Amino acid sequence: MTRRTVIVPNRLGIHARPAALIVKKASSFRSEITIAAGSEEINGKSIMGVMTLAAGQGTELAVTACGPDEEKAVEALCELIASGFGED
Amino acid sequence: MRDKFPEPGEMTVRKLAEIMGQRLMLAPACGEEGFGRLVSSPDISRPGLALTGFTHRFLHDRIQIFGETEITYLSYLKPSAREAAIANIFQFPVYCCIVTKGYEPPAELCAAAWKSDCAVFRSPRDTTPLIHDLTGYLAEVFAPRKSVHGTLVDVFGVGLLVTGRSAIGKSEAVLGLVERGHRLVADDMVRIRRTGEVLLGTGDALMGYHMEIRGLGMVDVAALFGIRAVKDRQQVDIEVRLVDWTQKPDFDRTGLEKATTTYLGIRIPQVTLPVLPGRNLALLLEVAAMNHLLNTRGVDVPAALEQKLIERMQAASEAGGGPRETGRGEES
Repeated sequence: MTRRTVIVPNRLGIHARPAALIVKKASSFRSEITIAAGSEEINGKSIMGVMTLAAGQGTELAVTACGPDEEKAVEALCELIASGFGED
Repeated sequence: MRDKFPEPGEMTVRKLAEIMGQRLMLAPACGEEGFGRLVSSPDISRPGLALTGFTHRFLHDRIQIFGETEITYLSYLKPSAREAAIANIFQFPVYCCIVTKGYEPPAELCAAAWKSDCAVFRSPRDTTPLIHDLTGYLAEVFAPRKSVHGTLVDVFGVGLLVTGRSAIGKSEAVLGLVERGHRLVADDMVRIRRTGEVLLGTGDALMGYHMEIRGLGMVDVAALFGIRAVKDRQQVDIEVRLVDWTQKPDFDRTGLEKATTTYLGIRIPQVTLPVLPGRNLALLLEVAAMNHLLNTRGVDVPAALEQKLIERMQAASEAGGGPRETGRGEES
């Protein structure tokens, strides 16, 4: 199991478009992926789940992956979230 | 009904009289030799000015409508002048004249028409409504058209054009829709015509409502499910593209992106549905149709949800963090 935390940098937070990007990225890995904000933990491959987090700017997200490509998955997802999805 | 719109190249005066004769109340008056000639324009012409001698820009390739004005004008003329007036237009290859309002075609018109193989009809109908019906029909005959490999079905009044590669399951999906009470318009080959800003789809007259179901061969949907299961023609409102699930999962997961496609210059929404064994395609197509109905009524569910989500995140950050634990019912 690999786990890392990342802060949501963009102003609008994880709204639908970033959520779709996260899910798309997560779905490209074979590992089980969960993303947690506080006590709420959801499946990283579920669009509804990621949106349910309602993770606004500054929220700390914990990305956890478990499986054959878990390290790559966590790294890729944290990088994507930290990038701010090309938003301000 | 399905044979009502021949190709423009097959639209002879005879065919027009066969198809529209009853509605326009056409009775052949003379010039039956002209029945084989092609109708070459969807528009009509009122030959009044040309009869007076002003033949500049006379539109001889259109059906000539002799209304009350033309007939009254001709009746004021002496026979020799009448002959000359009619000769003005018959110096051109006129192929069809309709005399409206129950007037009798003048003898000089019949003589000229007979000489140049031009069909002459009379109709008891008033001129303007007759022209409306005639041009409305011809506009459809001459409308831009194309054939599309796909299946057209009416789902809750929404015309779904289902496309996708052969054997992906279009016919099975549509059979599921028919079984749920929706109506098949055309399977496998859909003929689409553009009339105004609308796309109209029909099937092939010969193929009727037959469908090929792999393993069963040809089945007749009209015979199996009855008249309620089929429909002659339907506006094409939305295309649903069935694609293999194994393709790169590149489809929109939110529904925020509104994809469109263009047929004959008309843009319609396009939905891409990945197909996986066990997916209930008929149900998904039904939901696609209902979603389209919502969209056309200005309800954009993904955009509304997106708006609510952003508002919630902003409210939470203004309240100073701690956005968690917002279950259903906790919000006002």
